[in-house]
Amino acid sequence: MRFAWPKARAASAQRVNRRERLLAAADFYFAINATFRFILQNYGEEALHRYWRALGAEYYAPLADRFRTGGLDEVARYWTAFFAAEPGGDVSVAREKDEVILTVRECPAIRWLRLHNREICPGYCQHCRHVSTAIAENAGMRFTLTGGGGTCEQTFSLRDGESPA
Amino acid sequence: MIGVQDFCGHYDWTFAYLRHTYGEAALQRYWAEAIAFDSQRHAYELIRDKGFDGMEAYWGHTLTQEEAGYAITRTEDVFRIDMHDCPSKGFLIENGLAAYDDYCAHCMGWIGPVAQRAGFTIDHEHNHRGQCWWQLYRPDEAADLNAARAKAGDKNVELRPDWRRGDRHVYRQCRQMPPEHEDSPDAAT
Repeated sequence: MRFAWPKARAASAQRVNRRERLLAAADFYFAINATFRFILQNYGEEALHRYWRALGAEYYAPLADRFRTGGLDEVARYWTAFFAAEPGGDVSVAREKDEVILTVRECPAIRWLRLHNREICPGYCQHCRHVSTAIAENAGMRFTLTGGGGTCEQTFSLRDGESPA
Repeated sequence: MIGVQDFCGHYDWTFAYLRHTYGEAALQRYWAEAIAFDSQRHAYELIRDKGFDGMEAYWGHTLTQEEAGYAITRTEDVFRIDMHDCPSKGFLIENGLAAYDDYCAHCMGWIGPVAQRAGFTIDHEHNHRGQCWWQLYRPDEAADLNAARAKAGDKNVELRPDWRRGDRHVYRQCRQMPPEHEDSPDAAT
C-alpha cells in the first residue's frame, strides 16, 4: 500500500493548515495508544514493529521525499512545526552541521496519557524509533534515539559519505 | 513521533493496514474493542453513567475541541446529532486521502458497541461528504424519532440541498441496511 498526497494538498494548504490546527486534539493520543495495544496483544511485538515500519515507509513516504529533497534544513523545519502544533510537551529542535537533534524534555503524548491516568502500552516509545528509522532510510538519512519514558534525544543525520543539502 | 495533528490521516491508513494484514473482522474488532473501550472508555463511562447528559458532555467537549460544525438536539427520549462539517472526514477530503474505502464506518464501529453496552441503540446515516446524523435512544422504549428530527429544525442535516449527493450509508438500530435501502417513511426528503 502506498498512498500519494495529491497536488490538491498544495492548493488547499491554507485550509489544510487550519484543519490540522483544529484537529490537534490531544485525546487522539488515547487512540494511538489503544491501537498499539490492540496490535501488541492480538498479534505480538514483531507485528507491532512491522506496523510501525509500514507506517513510516508508506504513510510517511511523502515526508521522506521532503527530507530527501530538502535535506537537514527540511528535517529541522518539519520537526519545529510539528512540535509547535502538538498539544503540550517540551521539545527543542537544533540544526547542527551534520545532523538535526530533537531534545524531548517532555513528550506531549506521554504527558497526556499520564495526565489522564492511561495505561501506556508497553514499548510505546519504540514507535518513534521504528517510524522515524523507516522515514530516514527512505530519505537517505540515519536516525538514532536514546532515552524513553517521556524524555529522549532523537537525531537525524546524513549517511556516511553524503554531503549536507 | 506519531502526532495528533494529522491523526485522521494515519488513523485512516491504519484501517487499511489492519484490513489488508489481518482481515475485515480484525478491523471491526479493533473499532469495537480497542477504540470503543480502551481509547474512548471515557465516552463509555459518561454515557453509561449519565445517559443523555453523558452524551452531551462527551460530544459537546469532543466536537467543540475539534471545532466541528454540528448541532445537538435533545427530546425526552432521543439524543440527536446533526454533523454538517466533520473535521475528521474533512481532513481526508481536503488532503485527498482515502486509504480505507469507508472511513465514516469507524464511528458506528465504536459508538455502536459503546451505546449498546450502555443500554442504547442508534439510527444513523452518513454521506461520505463530512455530513451525518445520529439518533440514540433506548431500544425498549417507544422513542419518538420524528420529534427529534422535527425539533432539529433547520439544523437537520438531511435538509441540506447537498445531503443526497453523497453515497449514503444507512444504519437502523446499529445495523447497516442494504445499499438499496432508501430510508423509512420518517426520513426527510
